[in-house]
Amino acid sequence: MRRLEQLQLLAQRRARSAARGERRSRSRGQSVEFADYRNYVAGDDLRYLDWNLYGRLDRLFLKLYEEERELPVRIFLDASESMTFGEPSKFDYARQVAAAVGYVALCGFDRVSVTVFPEENVDAPTAGALRQVRGRKSALPFFQNLGRITAKGTVALNESLRRGALEARQPGLAIVLSDFLDPAGYEAGLNALAGRGFQINLIHVLADEELNPATYGDLRLVDSESGGFQEVTFGRYRLAAYQKTVANFCQRLREYLATRGGNYFMANTAMPLEDLLLKQLRQAEVWR
Amino acid sequence: MNFLEPTALAFAATLPIVVLFYLLKRKRVVKLVSSTLLWQKFLAETQASAPFQRLRHNWLLILQLLLLTLVILALGRPYFASKQKGGRMLVAILDASASMQARDETPSRFEKAKKDVGALIDNLQASDQMVLLLAGAHTEVKQSPTANKSALRRALAGCAVTSASGRMAEALRLAQPLVKDRAEAEIHLFSDGATTDLSELENEGLRLVYHRAGTRAMNVGIVTLDVRPHPEDPTRRAVFASFLNATTNAIDTEVELRFNGQLIETRPLTIGPRETLPQVFSTQQTEDGIFTLLVMADDDLPADNIASIGSALPQPTKVLLVTRGNRFLEKALAAAPNTEVTVAKELADTALGFDFVVLDGVMPVVWPEVNTMAVQVARTNWFEAAGKNLEAPAIVDVKATHPLLRFTTLENVQIAESMAVKTPPWALAVVEASEAPLILAGELEKRRVVWLAFDPLQSTWPLRISFPIFVANAVEWLSPATVSAARHQARPGQPLRLSFEQDVTEARITPPGQKERVLPVAAGARELVFGDTLREGLYHLQAGTNQVTYCVNLLDPLESDTTPRGEIRMGKFARVEAASTRPANLELWRWLSGVGLAILLFEWWYYHRRTA
Repeated sequence: MRRLEQLQLLAQRRARSAARGERRSRSRGQSVEFADYRNYVAGDDLRYLDWNLYGRLDRLFLKLYEEERELPVRIFLDASESMTFGEPSKFDYARQVAAAVGYVALCGFDRVSVTVFPEENVDAPTAGALRQVRGRKSALPFFQNLGRITAKGTVALNESLRRGALEARQPGLAIVLSDFLDPAGYEAGLNALAGRGFQINLIHVLADEELNPATYGDLRLVDSESGGFQEVTFGRYRLAAYQKTVANFCQRLREYLATRGGNYFMANTAMPLEDLLLKQLRQAEVWR
Repeated sequence: MNFLEPTALAFAATLPIVVLFYLLKRKRVVKLVSSTLLWQKFLAETQASAPFQRLRHNWLLILQLLLLTLVILALGRPYFASKQKGGRMLVAILDASASMQARDETPSRFEKAKKDVGALIDNLQASDQMVLLLAGAHTEVKQSPTANKSALRRALAGCAVTSASGRMAEALRLAQPLVKDRAEAEIHLFSDGATTDLSELENEGLRLVYHRAGTRAMNVGIVTLDVRPHPEDPTRRAVFASFLNATTNAIDTEVELRFNGQLIETRPLTIGPRETLPQVFSTQQTEDGIFTLLVMADDDLPADNIASIGSALPQPTKVLLVTRGNRFLEKALAAAPNTEVTVAKELADTALGFDFVVLDGVMPVVWPEVNTMAVQVARTNWFEAAGKNLEAPAIVDVKATHPLLRFTTLENVQIAESMAVKTPPWALAVVEASEAPLILAGELEKRRVVWLAFDPLQSTWPLRISFPIFVANAVEWLSPATVSAARHQARPGQPLRLSFEQDVTEARITPPGQKERVLPVAAGARELVFGDTLREGLYHLQAGTNQVTYCVNLLDPLESDTTPRGEIRMGKFARVEAASTRPANLELWRWLSGVGLAILLFEWWYYHRRTA
């Protein structure tokens, strides 16, 4: 927690939030960051006149300062049935990442909102509480609310992302935590986010058994969400081919995201959380 | 088109199995996963719940079926009948004589030879023909010329070893016409080389390949056995026997003499390397019975370690001498042991009260119906028309091994005149002049006959010591006890004969180590002949009130000498050396197609494992 407190989320784009915060914005306002000069017009606050300049040029100029606004951080958390697999489960892992990101944002006086999908997995008060979280003091309730979420049901990834993009009053930083194992795909949802102006950081959470399956033989695989099955004869000799398929899947997602200015992070649940938070995200300058 | 191995077509049963493999789906383990999305992307094959799927058009299946069909056809060895150069003719002669029982090969020489014949059959080309002869006591044609390997193998499986002496000449004579004047013909002899009578057989350019069986000579055996009254004490019996040591080391062993199963004597023997040791056993005999000799040696050939001989209590021999006066003959007959001689001037009845009759130059009115010794008289049906008498015939040949001439020598005998007859088929000329036989011995109408072509009084013979010995031998040979004893002795393979006076409907015989067999006897038959005597031992034969025990013994030094011969001598000069290996074309196609079949099945399995 202490190490997380020292981190600050970085946004490539200027904050557009209406509320004041600690982020630089395009708006001019009151802060210590000098932005520009402009000619004095009647009615301007005399406190912002640059008297030194007046002394040299004998003209009145007004000093302009950058307005510091908050950064809206929107966390999309996949709580579908497929997230319950893995050791630890992918959902627990994603929840911890969400908590860490949220805590970093709260410490930086940014506004955090969490969108859980499918929505049925979270009760209305918790959902309301997670929609607007601000200030460091809210960290503990924030964690408790995250802990109340359960993972089950079927995911509709595109729909959820699109709705989240529309609901947001101002675009900001979008953290998407999911396994992206939706047969309908992910393209429409990510497009909606990017189109709304979000800067997307995508954390692709996969369990080790999905990356390196260790069950061999003649199998009848049952899908946890759809209940559909797939018959397969799998052996060690086919492991490399399977891993290549998974790598291709991830690579397509990464490339799709890259064209929309997003960052992609692969998270194996067997990987220590610190590796992801303090190394990968830091190296990618999600925060510093 | 025909098939040499039609049984291989049974492999066609594997064709539906291949199709079945394509129909069959495997049983799967159910596993819950987060999502099948990644697997769907990974897999090409799909789902089905039934164990069978629809047979789809599959080139691999068609190719496999085609390949399998071809392999099965190849295994069936199809052929088209067409005209081509004839193949080889092979005559395999399998020696089934007693020495082939030797256990120096595993399990025996005979089995090893059978295995070799089997290998020869395996190596036959499609156009080759083969004949299988089994040379035991007599030569049997086990399989006439054929290219059918199955028939040859069946015939080979039916071959069994005997305890008979080897008669290779008979087999070779039978094989000769088969291979004569054929370019590609060979006789393959599977033997240990222990055979006698090849000296008469000239190797007329025969292609003979000798496959030797046997590795060593580790055998001690009984090679002669006889029982007689003891020469010094007529109340006792003397059992004469000789033992051969075929090994190259001296052997210490023990010999047991039994009488009717009762142990009489155990004698330790030391027989020098490759020596024959004669032994005489003297014993009291109180009843008719059987002497059995046993050699207590654990050697390669057990068949010659036991020999039996029947011995009847000595009875006085009643002799009727019909003569006009011959003191030499009279004295000689009287001097023979245990004889009662009656002298008569002429013979007018069948002399049934006597054991045998001596006709000394007297033509009888009625010919005797007992054993006869005839001196210069002949019955009309004995010989073909006699020629002119011979003047001073010189003795040129003497069969010294004949019992009549035992311990005799006729070197200084001159004869003034003798009758000139041709040796008839029933008799053996034991003493011969250059033009005609001088003494004949034989068996005619179940009676033994000794015939002298000359009058001993017209020769110097009565003055020689050999004359009384000859007469004594003749008394023994003509004595009915000797005759019946000899009849109750046989070599393996020789038929056993039993005469009976009354009508019998069946006879019972118990061969050694076997159950009693009942033989039907034709009505009115007076003699029974039993031919299945291929094993040594005691044969108990019963027909009506007659009960006789026959002793079948090997008693053959050539068979007891189990030394494997490196070569076989044929005729006077020819030799055939043992060829253990010779170049042959070994057919590999069976193995190749077998491996092909295995690869095909493996390929199917592997392919399915990868693409499921």
